Amino acid sequence: MSRLHDMGGRFGDGPIPVPRNNKNEVINFESTFKHNWQAKAWAITLAAGALGEWNLDISRHYRECLPPKDYINFSYYEKWLAALTNLLIDKKLISLDELKEYVAAAKKGNLDKFSNQNVILDDRTWLAEDVQKTLGWGGPSIRDTNVSPIFNIGDKIITQSYSPNKNVNGGHTRLPTYAMGRVGKIYSYNKNHVFPDKNAHGLGESPLPLYTVEFKSSELWGISAEHENDSIFLDLWEPYLNPYKD
Amino acid sequence: MSENKNIIHNHTHSDDHAHSQLPSDPELRVKAVETLLLNKGLIDSRTLDELIDTYENRIGPQNGAKVVAKAWVDEEYKKRLLNDATSAIRELSYQGRQGENMVVVENTPNVHNVVVCTLCSCYPWPVLGLPPTWYKSDEYRSRTVREPRKVLSEFGLSLDPKVQVKVWDSTAELRYLVLPMRPDGTENMDETELAELVTRNSMIGTGLPKEIK
Repeated sequence: MSRLHDMGGRFGDGPIPVPRNNKNEVINFESTFKHNWQAKAWAITLAAGALGEWNLDISRHYRECLPPKDYINFSYYEKWLAALTNLLIDKKLISLDELKEYVAAAKKGNLDKFSNQNVILDDRTWLAEDVQKTLGWGGPSIRDTNVSPIFNIGDKIITQSYSPNKNVNGGHTRLPTYAMGRVGKIYSYNKNHVFPDKNAHGLGESPLPLYTVEFKSSELWGISAEHENDSIFLDLWEPYLNPYKD
Repeated sequence: MSENKNIIHNHTHSDDHAHSQLPSDPELRVKAVETLLLNKGLIDSRTLDELIDTYENRIGPQNGAKVVAKAWVDEEYKKRLLNDATSAIRELSYQGRQGENMVVVENTPNVHNVVVCTLCSCYPWPVLGLPPTWYKSDEYRSRTVREPRKVLSEFGLSLDPKVQVKVWDSTAELRYLVLPMRPDGTENMDETELAELVTRNSMIGTGLPKEIK
């Protein structure tokens, strides 16, 4: 039931690509974007998102829904651009014909033929003068609701043992496979947050209690755990958790 | 269960992905989509420039470094930071997108914290900027929850077996910042000098602050 993005704990990945200088010291600074197209892919994704036709959970789910062969082969911002393209089509902000027309022109190197000095901005378009204000506000996911958490700090829980999205087959969820069916302990309660399993599918925000849950390394990885004292903490919504009795 | 009747799959693109129309050169791909959106008036090029300039030049780990340095010199601030990180960080005017709900976790002689996002690339933008390439890599995302000590050793960090490692997988909208330990021999340094010692990786947990030579 999992998708490729759900890779925590997977075997087979090599060394971390840690950048080092010629003295073999770890480099702590790198430019935000290595190529201009990456900056553009990132910025048009934010700007298109500001049109309000989708939310953060929907855009995450679109990236996760890329076909496995593309998810593997695409670099990070290629995934962003591919997911954005699919969103733009699905939300009817652009048509497939328009896309094909622009792609054909791009391949021929004559995108300039579309240049238009008289573009009328859409009412929803994010303006440069509003950028700092919008970034500063962000997109808080906490909601004031009267839902009370059923778990207390220190309670033992066991996570769902299968993909917990009950509304959509293969739908978005934030319970990673590596932590399914595992016993953990409630570390903190973080108020009620928009529930991605519904929000990613346009089924409403349904804010629900969000907990930070502590799992012992040995509970997640058994005898192959690296060190018995180590812990892994995950932020999990209430529907992912069931009470656990020893 | 009646819930099963509600199972839907609300994507129209699953069989015929629009993105497969895009050219193989990523530069051309972006240019085609960008030009189309500009011509439809759905994005404004000045907005793109402002966004890119903000995260290339104004928001980055230098922000987080100031938070850490302040916590090192001001015990009351440190308490506020550990108790309600979002508010304490806002005191320094760092707030907003991808930092709406901040949590600061403190390294001690007995505990070392490290942050990852196994499902995507969640990262505290207002204090660290956009994530470095390695943070978004499959290698970091897959291995850090299973073998954090081995991962840290690849960053040149070897931990005493007696030190407990706590890995924070950012699976929701909480964003984590590690408060590293203040290096020895820095008693006479002020906040500005101390901030210079705070490396980006030390605030993710894959490094330590610079040592005093």
